Amino acid sequence: MTELASGSTSQRELASESTSQRNTESITVTVNGHAYTADCEPRVTLADFLRHTCGLTGTHLGCEHGVCGACTILVDGRSARACLMLAVQADGATITTVEGLAAGNALNPLQEAFWDNHGLQCGFCTPGMLMTATELLADNPDPDAAEVREGLSGNLCRCTGYDSIVRSVLDAAQRMRG
Amino acid sequence: MSVIGERVPRSDGRAKASGEAEYGVDHAEPDMIWGALVRSPVSSGRITRLDTAPALAMPGVHAVVTAADAPDTRAGWVLRDQRLFAADRVLYEGQPVAAVAADTLELAREAAAAVVLEIEPLPAVVDLDAALRPDAPLVHPDWESYVPALGPDADYPRHGNLAAESVSDPPGVDDAFARAHRVVTDEFVVQRQYQAYIEPKSAVGIYRDGRFTVHTAHQFPYNVRDRVSQFLDVRPSAVRIVGHTIGGGFGAKLDAALEPYAALLSKAARGRAVKLVNTRTEDLITCPSREGAITRVRSALDEDGTIIARELEVIADNGAYSGEMPWLASIALHCARGVYRAGPTRVTARLVYTNTAPTGAFRGVNGTYLYHAVERHMDHIAAELGVDRREYRLRHLFDDGEELLNGQVLTDAGILREGFEAIEAAAPWAKLEAERRPYRGIGIAAAWWLTNPMPGTAVVKLHEDGTAAVITAATDNGSGAVSMGVTQIVAERLGIPPSDVFVTLPDTDVAGFDAGSQGSRTTRIVGKASQIAADEVITKLKDVAAGLLEAAADDLEVADGTVRVKGAPGTSVPIAVVAATATNTVGPIQGTGSFVTPFPDFNPGCATGLMLPSFPTPTYHVHLAEVEVDPVTGTVQVLRYLVAQEVGAVISPDGTYGQVMGGVTQGIGYALHESLRIGEDGRYRERTLESYRLPLAGDVPRVEFFPLEHPDPDGPHGAKGVGEGPILLPAAVIANAVSDAIGRPLNNIPITPEEVLAALQTAELRNDEEHVR
Repeated sequence: MTELASGSTSQRELASESTSQRNTESITVTVNGHAYTADCEPRVTLADFLRHTCGLTGTHLGCEHGVCGACTILVDGRSARACLMLAVQADGATITTVEGLAAGNALNPLQEAFWDNHGLQCGFCTPGMLMTATELLADNPDPDAAEVREGLSGNLCRCTGYDSIVRSVLDAAQRMRG
Repeated sequence: MSVIGERVPRSDGRAKASGEAEYGVDHAEPDMIWGALVRSPVSSGRITRLDTAPALAMPGVHAVVTAADAPDTRAGWVLRDQRLFAADRVLYEGQPVAAVAADTLELAREAAAAVVLEIEPLPAVVDLDAALRPDAPLVHPDWESYVPALGPDADYPRHGNLAAESVSDPPGVDDAFARAHRVVTDEFVVQRQYQAYIEPKSAVGIYRDGRFTVHTAHQFPYNVRDRVSQFLDVRPSAVRIVGHTIGGGFGAKLDAALEPYAALLSKAARGRAVKLVNTRTEDLITCPSREGAITRVRSALDEDGTIIARELEVIADNGAYSGEMPWLASIALHCARGVYRAGPTRVTARLVYTNTAPTGAFRGVNGTYLYHAVERHMDHIAAELGVDRREYRLRHLFDDGEELLNGQVLTDAGILREGFEAIEAAAPWAKLEAERRPYRGIGIAAAWWLTNPMPGTAVVKLHEDGTAAVITAATDNGSGAVSMGVTQIVAERLGIPPSDVFVTLPDTDVAGFDAGSQGSRTTRIVGKASQIAADEVITKLKDVAAGLLEAAADDLEVADGTVRVKGAPGTSVPIAVVAATATNTVGPIQGTGSFVTPFPDFNPGCATGLMLPSFPTPTYHVHLAEVEVDPVTGTVQVLRYLVAQEVGAVISPDGTYGQVMGGVTQGIGYALHESLRIGEDGRYRERTLESYRLPLAGDVPRVEFFPLEHPDPDGPHGAKGVGEGPILLPAAVIANAVSDAIGRPLNNIPITPEEVLAALQTAELRNDEEHVR
């Protein structure tokens, strides 16, 4: 429910409609190398599946309609908004979330660069920024600042003003090129 | 080696970069169930039917509560004007009417939708001027019966739809206008601004053992405690607030939101933990956004163009309930002249009840639009006089010793001139003017501001391994004030690395009162309290080490992880050894510190309704922007942005710059992007982050920042507030720059592409007419 229903009649109709659809489907999703099999209601978003069923709360929900980018994950290597996918659509897919970036306790170079360059303040957008930047650097290992700004323009940050995030990604690119 | 002024990794950086950080919205409890609110779909009306039976009959629904289930009382930060649930009338769209708890979030939302709510719509009070007319319907017919939170003696001027009023009417204003050579008049209108933190509000309530515990990501846990206590009619100590990592707040998470509902639902669900999470639309339409306002200002000028008197009237939108707003209304007195001499000044600030969501604090509060008004007005005056805008400002600029309208004396206002000079060195005004191209413009503005003085406290506890814990209810809303600032200050004092200092998350059962992350106060107030606490730890360390080192305590110092004899660093003992020894001899070592900044002297007779009487720990700000307007699309690109800001002393360079860059970006959003319109029906037109457009990575340049450091003797290492100042001036300088670029005044905020195009068309029409003539 992203909009308030405007009348009680339509609210009741909505309620009875969704109540009648409460069936489940068995899905298997590989997340960060672990296979999760679960019975899942078709209405559950991939984001809620990751957060509630898999317990991976690093994938953050900021708007639930694909604008803020905080829930960005990689599905079979490409970035996707976990709030805009249903979990059942991910059946059989291989997913990477922010929890899959670090090797054990060792942050990866992109995460290190965000920490070192003050690329986060409240940090709520950070997982989405990291996943978007992961794809960006995979596609373009040596971007310039304008390309990074363009690449991150689908992710909202309310704290930093983006500059430190751009510098983090540029620093990470340099570290990853060695 | 000192860690003050050095780059240090923020203590929460690993958890935030790895996805491990537990935000409020991530918190879960064993056996937890979910809640949802039934909210009014209209902004004004009478409830004619409320039937919860269909929801209660649904399997998996544990509780449905309405006004009938809540204590018959009113609550509020400043004025107790708000019920937990609308009982008879609804006063704004989104106002809670009922709440449900059920097994899952989806089910809770279904059950909320199943509650039958019928409302007979009533006319909505929306227009600010109309709300003040004698025949306007009253938003609160019972306004007279409301009592201030601090008791009847704390009441203040208010009447009907006038939620608060502050008036300063010094002698000489009318005389000056009567003899004025010229009078310049302006009106400015600004929309609301939504804080739009990326983490929506949430709360987990638990009723257990006769007490309420609420988990929440909040800027001001003690304020939540007090509000839950008021709404649920229990004493404050019967409420425990546990803080979690905050996904942004910017002032919107200073007052309670979902917390009292989660607490009451848990009680109704026999103690099961209940979690509530806002959808983004719920969050947006009920958030205490920065208020919309109308500011009318006129200045009297003598034959030299010098300002000899001013009149400023601001009418601000309180929304349906008062929240913190009455306390902020009198800030108009402190900003009415900006930072420029303007002679005797009459200031009237009116706060108006409307049938809209209650407004509240957003970083920089009303300073943003008051400075927008004053600085646009300065440009207008300079244009009327045909003089240079910067030069005109310098002519009137405050100097050391300026006495303000409230009698407060600014001993160090000369810092403003340093700010202008710092900007001038990087972006010479005459050069910018000379290199002007079509559709490019520049703007400059200046401000002063306070550092919130409210109290804070901390306990510094020394572990037996030589590390330290800081127990405080202070919160890090992302700024780094705790994860760097307070951490650095304690590390510096104890001579240990910042990585050996752990600051707890807030818990009102554990840590003493703290006034929250607001008004740029945390590094200064909590930093100072922690420093005092650390000093007590040092005294105790020295006393114990004196025995170990066979030296007098006065001859010892604490440095480099040791307690050592001054001048003989070889004679030392590790802090860990001293701490362990202390635990087994005199008892564990810890220290306590508290701090509050007193309000500067002021003249209490200068105004009525003076709720915020003076500005403690002043800071000074000068901004300059260069913009380019696209005449085809009406969009504005900010090409350059410069900030010179007095900060006292830089504790953390990353944190300081982060606040400047982030605050300016929010200000650019306010100036250009973030349209938040209210219809005649009192409902918001923008309702999601798709239509409420935040600045994106491509919309903002890197801010050129020039810190001015004049250490404050009372601040830890000289620190003053940093976080709020950067948002005070972007609307002012960008509006001035855009107006300069197109040669037409733009006096409303935000300056949307539509407004720019309309202004350009007006200008073209005028040019055509002149051409024909």
